[in-house]
Amino acid sequence: MARASTTQRKIVVTVIAWIIALAIFFPILWTILTSFKTEADAIAIPPKFLNFTWTLDNYITVQERSDYFRHFMNSVIISLGSTVLALIVAIPAAWSMAFVPGKRTKDILMWMLSTKMMPAVGVLIPIYLIFRDWGLLDSRTGLIIVLMLMNLPIVVWMLYTYFKEIPGEILEAARMDGASLGKEILYVLTPMAVPGIASTLLLNIILAWNEAFWTLNLTTSNAAPLSTFIASYSSPEGLFYAKLSAASTMAIAPILILGWFSQKQLVRGLTFGAVK
Amino acid sequence: MTTTIRGLMGACCLAAFGAPLAAETITVATVNNGDMIRMQGLMAQFNEKHPDIEVNWVTLEENVLRQRVTTDIATKGGQYDVLTIGNYEVPIWAKQGWLLPLDDMGADYDAADFLAPVAQALTVDDKLYAAPFYAESAMLMYRSDLLEKAGLTMPEDPTWDFITEAAEKMTDKDAGVYGICLRGKAGWGENMAFLTAMSHSMGARWFDMEWKPQFDSPEWKETLDTYLNLMTKYGPPGASSNGFNENLALFQTGKCGMWMDATVAASFVSNPEESTVADNVAFAPFPHKDGVDNHGNWLWSWNLAIPASSTKQEASKAFVAWATSKEYTNLVAEEDGIANAPPGTRTSLYANEEYLKAPFAQPTLTAIENANTQHPSVQEVPYTGGQWISIPEFQAIGTAVGQVFSAALAGTSTADQALTAAQTLTQREMQRAGYPK
Amino acid sequence: MATQASRAAGRLMISPAVIVLFLWMIVPLGMTIYFSFLRYNLLIPGDHAFAGFENYQFFFTDPNFWPALINTLLLVGGVLLITTVGGILLALLLDQPMFGQGIVRVLVIAPFFVMPTVSALVWKNMFMNPVNGIFGWLANVFGVPPYDFLSQAPLLSIILIVAWQWLPFATLILLTALQSLDSEQLEAAEMDGAGPFSRFFHIMLPHLSRAATVVILIQTIFLLSIFAEILVTTNGGPGNASTNLTYLVYSQSLLQYDVGLGSAGGIVAVILANIVAIFLMRMIGKNLEA
Repeated sequence: MARASTTQRKIVVTVIAWIIALAIFFPILWTILTSFKTEADAIAIPPKFLNFTWTLDNYITVQERSDYFRHFMNSVIISLGSTVLALIVAIPAAWSMAFVPGKRTKDILMWMLSTKMMPAVGVLIPIYLIFRDWGLLDSRTGLIIVLMLMNLPIVVWMLYTYFKEIPGEILEAARMDGASLGKEILYVLTPMAVPGIASTLLLNIILAWNEAFWTLNLTTSNAAPLSTFIASYSSPEGLFYAKLSAASTMAIAPILILGWFSQKQLVRGLTFGAVK
Repeated sequence: MTTTIRGLMGACCLAAFGAPLAAETITVATVNNGDMIRMQGLMAQFNEKHPDIEVNWVTLEENVLRQRVTTDIATKGGQYDVLTIGNYEVPIWAKQGWLLPLDDMGADYDAADFLAPVAQALTVDDKLYAAPFYAESAMLMYRSDLLEKAGLTMPEDPTWDFITEAAEKMTDKDAGVYGICLRGKAGWGENMAFLTAMSHSMGARWFDMEWKPQFDSPEWKETLDTYLNLMTKYGPPGASSNGFNENLALFQTGKCGMWMDATVAASFVSNPEESTVADNVAFAPFPHKDGVDNHGNWLWSWNLAIPASSTKQEASKAFVAWATSKEYTNLVAEEDGIANAPPGTRTSLYANEEYLKAPFAQPTLTAIENANTQHPSVQEVPYTGGQWISIPEFQAIGTAVGQVFSAALAGTSTADQALTAAQTLTQREMQRAGYPK
Repeated sequence: MATQASRAAGRLMISPAVIVLFLWMIVPLGMTIYFSFLRYNLLIPGDHAFAGFENYQFFFTDPNFWPALINTLLLVGGVLLITTVGGILLALLLDQPMFGQGIVRVLVIAPFFVMPTVSALVWKNMFMNPVNGIFGWLANVFGVPPYDFLSQAPLLSIILIVAWQWLPFATLILLTALQSLDSEQLEAAEMDGAGPFSRFFHIMLPHLSRAATVVILIQTIFLLSIFAEILVTTNGGPGNASTNLTYLVYSQSLLQYDVGLGSAGGIVAVILANIVAIFLMRMIGKNLEA
């Protein structure tokens, strides 16, 4: 009896959850479907869900027009580079905040977060001028630096919250055994914080991948990532839904797949110390 | 030993690429419109002719392109060697000394072949500062079948009164047919392009000779009232977010009776591969108010220009010359058919019998030839222009006024409120910019 | 606990992060403050005359300023409300046993991976467009006139688009928090005769409050500077109905190329954002300490 009602309940929950999940996912699914339609089918009313002629033309056109692979590689290098660089700077900082907190630690953390609130559009011209003078325009190095700085506060904060949960006694013990500070971080702290570091890494790759203001404004062609690739399909003359969908699918697919495969790691650490 | 290796490597590279090592790469920024995309597909011919020049394309959506290119040239960022810019930017930038004059474009370039109004808009102090790639004016595109069904015939020179009548009779909302589609999306190059042209055709002007804005004039009131009346009664839903593209899609799918917009649309709506109504499209001049001899004076061209700071001027010139040459037109004609040649720039194209067979060729030429950018209004004005006003501040003012009018179309304010707001904000901006100058 | 030596080491280790962030803040900020006192338009080269507070005065008297401020708060508040409430409900749902839980979770988190520009383009063209969009078609199927989202309710439409992007993030954090809840505590409450609602309000909600504050803090940081979604969908209109502060600064500095005015606006936006930040930090700092 009890078992039957549990099963029943499970079925009801399953149905509701699937409906909601599909509704949330639908825009993405629709984009993917549309990318396989002809432009005429893409705009047809009533909408064609599966009863259309599948075609790869849009992908072929997009590939002919733009060098997807180059944009893709730039996106990979920039998002990975900026994230790794941010981690290198952030790990020691977060360590020090978590284990040698001073009176000002909280203030410093909050100040770091507040630097993220500066509206990028307001400082584009200053940054553009600096980049021009330093020859960083349209360079991956320049973008890696900017995106690193953009995400650094979040990285520091995320790491800080993990590190804080690591019991100080373990470090004490390591210190007793005569471990140096560097060794302490490298061999004791880091392994314990791997889940935290992994999810910080993933979250920041996602944020950097999807960044579309600086990447669009500071690049021309050599360093241009997928955000620029999208900007060449966004509103051309004539019908464009299908081609836009194909380009969009190509731009989001890598990160979507990465996100799906690594969601366990992402979720494990995505708590910002909110879970005790 | 080392020399041998170097020599070998050099030979190896030469063999591999078959091109001199001194190849120069130029970066061309362009807009993602169909004609530019087509050019990118025809680059093999350019490379054959100029094996030492490699062209690097940066194709962007119009607004992104404008922002990128303007920021770069104004800060002397030097990111681009060839820019695709409008005839609005050309004279302003040329006066700042930002552009390279294009006077020696080669023997067979024949710059005199450019249509006079188009070339004039790109000329400062008798020097051409950009080469027109394609040009457009505005005209009325309509569905002959729907007009016939409504029991009307299109006059040779339609008035706004006729348009209103026709829009009313063509509208069949149950069948999803709207009598008229016009731009409503805010922006100086979107709804304000149309409304500025329409205001000129109503006898209005933007500024008087003291640079005082004229939105409080009866002509502007009539313009906005007519526009709102047409659009709210006979226009499609959501018109306040429709720009050129949205209207094109609506017209191509048979949802519009009439559409007044850029002449380049003509080839899209009469192309049966893209348009469901290709067989029933007809063209007429841009409407005007009875008694006002002005068809809006819409003139837009996308042009190729070279920043004065470019370090690769010769290669850039070679590219610009090729892309805007007669030879390029012939190339397109061979590859994709003459109807797809970039329109509106060269007299010789309109002398081509084959091209004139396209139903839109002659109306386009007439519209361009009639566009008077030197005196866009029937009243006296301190500015030149057409569907835009040739001052650097216009982008900002036009977009802000566009927002106000777009809100009126969305129904969040009345026509009078919108005109008052437009007047106040334009005055404010003009004062800040220090007019009268 | 910490020794003198480790304190010094701590300072040494925190310094790279502090220094780079300080430079990242102070150099553009310094230039922006400097520009904000100049009459500086990109399109008008030549000397940039000192303008005093003219730019600030012009910015504050801009009729769009107050609406933009209100829109910014509405946008942030609206998205936070939808994502936190929706996130809690979704987390509760996903925490239940069901078939295909893994796939459901994968589907739900997907929007978080989509580029903001792409999602705005897709929503605008393929869903909210009253003529060609799916919502318009649905309206026709049910015999009601299509609703023109982006011109009739522009801000709400943008809130919905942004909320769609951030809902997965909120759900994930809240779900993790929910899963960490001691099930014995819940069972004990059930034994004591507490109904599902009482259990939710007295045990789950307090437990989730920490996670919720984190969600609010992180999202606020990102939501204050929402820009791409507005640029792609409404361009801040119709009128100023969907102009937020960031967009206002954009329209002045990049659309008008008025660097002086845009800089003044940028400074104002920074100050306002920091005021919001301070409030938030106070609120959340307390909650995180507990």
